[in-house]
Amino acid sequence: MNGLLPMSLRVNGERHDILAPPWRTLLEALREIIGLTGTKRSCQEGQCGTCTVLIDGKAVNSCLYLAVEAQGKDITTIEGVGKEHLHQIQKSFVQKGGVQCGFCTPGLILATKSLLDDTPEPSEDQIREAIVGHLCRCTGYIQIVEAIQDAAREMARQGSRSDG
Amino acid sequence: MGEEFRNEYNILGRPVAKKDGWLKVSGQAEYADDIFLPGMLHGKLLRSPHPHARILHTDISKAAALPGVRAIVTGKDFPGIKYGNLPQTRDYLPLAIDRVRYIGEEVAAVAAIDEDTAEEALDLIQVEYEPLPAVFDPVEAMQPEAPQLHEHAAGNISGHSAFHFGDVEVGFANSDYIREDIFETQPLKHGMLEPHACVGTWDNTGKITLRTCKMSPYVVWRQLAMGLGIEPGRIRVIQSFVGGAFSGGKQEAMPMDFCAVLLAKKTGRPVKFVHTMDEVLTIGHMRHPMRIWLRTGVKTDGTFQAQHCKVTANGGAYSSIGQFSMYLGGAMLNLPYRLPNIKYEAQRVYTNNGFCGALRGHTIPQICYARDSQLDTIAEHLGLDPIEIRHRNAIQPGDTTSNGFRITTFGFDECLDRVAEASGWRKKRGNLPKYRGIGVGCGSLISGARLMGHSASAAEVRIQEDGSVQLTTGSTDVGQGADTVLSMIAAEVLGVEVDDVRFQRVDTDITPVDPGTFGSRVTFWTGNAVKRAAEDARGQLAQLAAQKLGVDAQDLVFRNRQVFSQKDQQRCVSVKELVRWGEFHLGQVITGRGAYAAGEELINFRTGFGNISPAYTPSACVVEVEVDPGTGHVTITGIWGADDSGFPLNPLAVKGQVLGSTVMHIGQALYEDLIRIEGKVMNPSLRDYKMPLSTDMPKLADVAHINVITWEPSGPFGAKEAGEGAGTGVLAAVANAVYDAIGVRLKRLPMSPDRIFFALKQRQNELSMQESSSIDAK
Amino acid sequence: MSSLRRLPKFEYLAPVTTDEVCRLLAAHASEAKLFAGGTDLILQMRRRETVPKYIIGLKSVPELTFVRETAEGGLAIGAMTTIQTLLTSPMIRKRYGVLAEVAAGIGGPELRNVATIGGNLAGALPCADFPPALIALGATAKLKSSASERIVPVEELFPSFGKTVAKPDELFTEIHLPNVPAFSGGVYLKFHDRHSMDMTTLGVSAFVSWDEESRVFRDVKIALASSAPVPMRAKKAEAVLRGRALTEDALEEASRAVCEEANPRSSWRATREFRFELLRTLTKRAIRGAQEKAAPAMGGTP
Repeated sequence: MNGLLPMSLRVNGERHDILAPPWRTLLEALREIIGLTGTKRSCQEGQCGTCTVLIDGKAVNSCLYLAVEAQGKDITTIEGVGKEHLHQIQKSFVQKGGVQCGFCTPGLILATKSLLDDTPEPSEDQIREAIVGHLCRCTGYIQIVEAIQDAAREMARQGSRSDG
Repeated sequence: MGEEFRNEYNILGRPVAKKDGWLKVSGQAEYADDIFLPGMLHGKLLRSPHPHARILHTDISKAAALPGVRAIVTGKDFPGIKYGNLPQTRDYLPLAIDRVRYIGEEVAAVAAIDEDTAEEALDLIQVEYEPLPAVFDPVEAMQPEAPQLHEHAAGNISGHSAFHFGDVEVGFANSDYIREDIFETQPLKHGMLEPHACVGTWDNTGKITLRTCKMSPYVVWRQLAMGLGIEPGRIRVIQSFVGGAFSGGKQEAMPMDFCAVLLAKKTGRPVKFVHTMDEVLTIGHMRHPMRIWLRTGVKTDGTFQAQHCKVTANGGAYSSIGQFSMYLGGAMLNLPYRLPNIKYEAQRVYTNNGFCGALRGHTIPQICYARDSQLDTIAEHLGLDPIEIRHRNAIQPGDTTSNGFRITTFGFDECLDRVAEASGWRKKRGNLPKYRGIGVGCGSLISGARLMGHSASAAEVRIQEDGSVQLTTGSTDVGQGADTVLSMIAAEVLGVEVDDVRFQRVDTDITPVDPGTFGSRVTFWTGNAVKRAAEDARGQLAQLAAQKLGVDAQDLVFRNRQVFSQKDQQRCVSVKELVRWGEFHLGQVITGRGAYAAGEELINFRTGFGNISPAYTPSACVVEVEVDPGTGHVTITGIWGADDSGFPLNPLAVKGQVLGSTVMHIGQALYEDLIRIEGKVMNPSLRDYKMPLSTDMPKLADVAHINVITWEPSGPFGAKEAGEGAGTGVLAAVANAVYDAIGVRLKRLPMSPDRIFFALKQRQNELSMQESSSIDAK
Repeated sequence: MSSLRRLPKFEYLAPVTTDEVCRLLAAHASEAKLFAGGTDLILQMRRRETVPKYIIGLKSVPELTFVRETAEGGLAIGAMTTIQTLLTSPMIRKRYGVLAEVAAGIGGPELRNVATIGGNLAGALPCADFPPALIALGATAKLKSSASERIVPVEELFPSFGKTVAKPDELFTEIHLPNVPAFSGGVYLKFHDRHSMDMTTLGVSAFVSWDEESRVFRDVKIALASSAPVPMRAKKAEAVLRGRALTEDALEEASRAVCEEANPRSSWRATREFRFELLRTLTKRAIRGAQEKAAPAMGGTP
């Protein structure tokens, strides 16, 4: 069967009308059809977190989500967090050594955003739990937790949570 | 210590954020799988289901007829030239031709319009195999009746290393106490999150381009040339951002690299290959599992008299860098303790498993695990504190080891002191509640090695007319921070900002040829090359400035993007103005060049003697654990590490690398194991190949990294390697902590809950039997 | 060839009511698979363990997602309720805290935001974490088809490995939790190598009802994960404890009984021998933990 379906996906506030078969995962649609490659492809089993995006503000593994089911929802990818004007979370990750090879970084930043949007002053344990679905082989997590703490502190200090 | 060094510099010694971090946090860093070229096809590899078999016949006709398939290649499409890392052990082919030697070995490749079609096409390729008897255990493989994997390797010996310095028999005769133990380690995978990926093109002039995430693009460049039977000048390897490496397949040319370019030739279109994670976990490239027999003799005061070590490594189906792996483990047994007499014999054995190679630390962590675990047992027997016995044996600056390592800086005693202090060792040792333990483990590493063949690094520094600095080297940043630290060195020398330096990713058409990013060599070797190149450029600028300002070149200071005379600060010109003046008026372009080769001295690999590295780093790690006796579950409750990396040029990066290496080795100590049954990997999934997660780490307050600062005269601004060495002592630290917690010594890795539980149960049975027999005796 | 392939082809159907789902099931029966959270099904399809012609997506059926009190004083949970919702729902945490415990131990936020309680049941994996807790709570599940509706105790849902009693044209719509008596409490303990994310090597759920006057167990329910081909109830162990005080002997006897009736397998993940040891340890701890929750000091919160 040809199987192509017209789909309308709202990504980072922008509408993308695409044609894709129903068996396309959201990850594949984002990377291969829409051309947003910031979301990464790794284990494809929901174990590594590199494919994490936000759907209506909630972190999900886009490798385990069908593109067709993501319609009508607000999808946020790393490209929507900050590009020229970086979000505090992005700044903290760089400044606190939370980025080495960077492959786990987009997924982690989105998980962090979801956490801090929900819990602006997380405890260390809450931070660990929020990123437990993310593997990082480079940092050993210590500087990542420090980066998230820094982001929370800075965001509380600045009193605002996003740059628009 | 270090303040006085740091204050000398504008940039070096301060924590500097990773330069490419800004691209990575916004999702803009282009990794190999992010590359989409017009007309690009997608490749997939067909793999052998047999651990050992002859390939009788391959029928690709049905696959080729599938709509959307554009080309298929098999082993016969390549020239049949074997390639590999060392001349004596070249046994790789791009695709198997008449024999496969492990489950997962590549036999064919398809290029199709999309991945789905490529996968379907694989189903349609018909390969007729004649299964052969297979062997999986190295001891069995060495038996005369075992199936022979390679014609050139009698008894399936893939590689070996042996040396004897001093006289161990004399040493043992002088010993008051001798101990013999056997330790076993498991196969470990690199675990980087980015799967191997590449995009190959082959244009009509015969120029080949491979865009790929390699740690050592020039190694790949040379191996591709060899395996394709063409001159390397026709090949261009462009390094994409690398999503983690730690050696392995990102260090060598892989079947996907060969197939991408050949399929590109056949189709006239770019071809991309990306491994799925189960492919990454099924193929070769992993840490050598080793069986280590260690016999050690000491005096009552705990000082080493002799050590005899025999290693059998399960090398898997191919050699990779394995021959060198066998040498390195034994060589590093000579550090960080003084060892007057040492005998070492290592054999690497071919088996029908995925092959092994280098992985962060190489074979050193396994050796340190055995040696430092046994050292604690010895200490206990002698009634000595584990840290104290290590002090008594500590290598000192100025020592020469039995195998000829000349030690310059080596702050090992201070590492021990600092880590004891940070962890609260003296208070805790012997006083922790039941099932809680604290242990120490130590190790060391080289700062790059003088290998046979190419061992030098080069750099070029071009200063642009806007004052920015274009820095090219052959070294790669794979996340470890090479881009930043090399830029910091250049910026320091030239008196500009780190942000002014543009660090070029490796492109073999443009950057200087380099041995590769391995053996923890980049900061030291390339760093020295960059320093020299920047000094060369500075020298050229100084000549221009002297001319323009009418001052003595020797009096010039380079700071804050300015060049001025020390004697008269009014005589000043900005770097960019100077560059423009030179360009426009004299036609002179400022290009600095530098290279570093660490001398002519080579290791005699036959005898094992020689000073392999210009500098060595010691490390000490203390780990605290809590064991649940009801389940064998281990929780790490504290990690303290101290290492001497000379002068830490970028402490933020050093800390990140050290912690990362530490956590990786905690994974090896407790969780990770590539489980193979009859050559089949049972857990090729990140769900079942378990790497540490955030919740496996102690609280931040219970983790500390300490820089022991020395000044290495031959290193760039006093620096040595950082990060890889610090992981080598961690396995023993965890093992010793577990022993302290439960009173049982685990000599097999990983120390999984079931092994701990049953070891504890057995000991409790033994204790209660002793009790009842002593009651009976009464 | 990799074992995690691109998804196979299928036709995607998106009903919006439960009735519509049932009609589609009736029409396509064994050619269709219900797609709840999808986190398990996608992996099964990738591995080609199942290649359905139709995927019936349930995410657009709002009436399947709810947590509400029932007339009998219990709780009804829609099958599409996500695990994350169960973790945070005040209604669950208040009186059925053991389910929040189960939820907390499953994966990480990304998985919990999508995986559903219905999916956890329908998947019929012996290592699934909700079945033991639901069995210990005495929960029932509602199965609906175009023709009929039936209620099945969760305990009776799993006839054999990997299967539920759901017919090809039936859909799990909701789970009912009975009202819990005062002085009752439940825990779920599971063992795995790391501190998070792992498959359950062994799981024990205990739900007890405590007689404060006589200081004995009024009722005990124990159910196990990864201890048999299906989620199972440890009736022998329960019988040992009913009417007894919480003593070391009683716990020892109960854990021995559990080992007699359980039948864990040996695999490269864990040996049978080790699973028995875990059963012994976790059973005792689960019973103790449940009793602590049930005892007056805690106010009898489950």
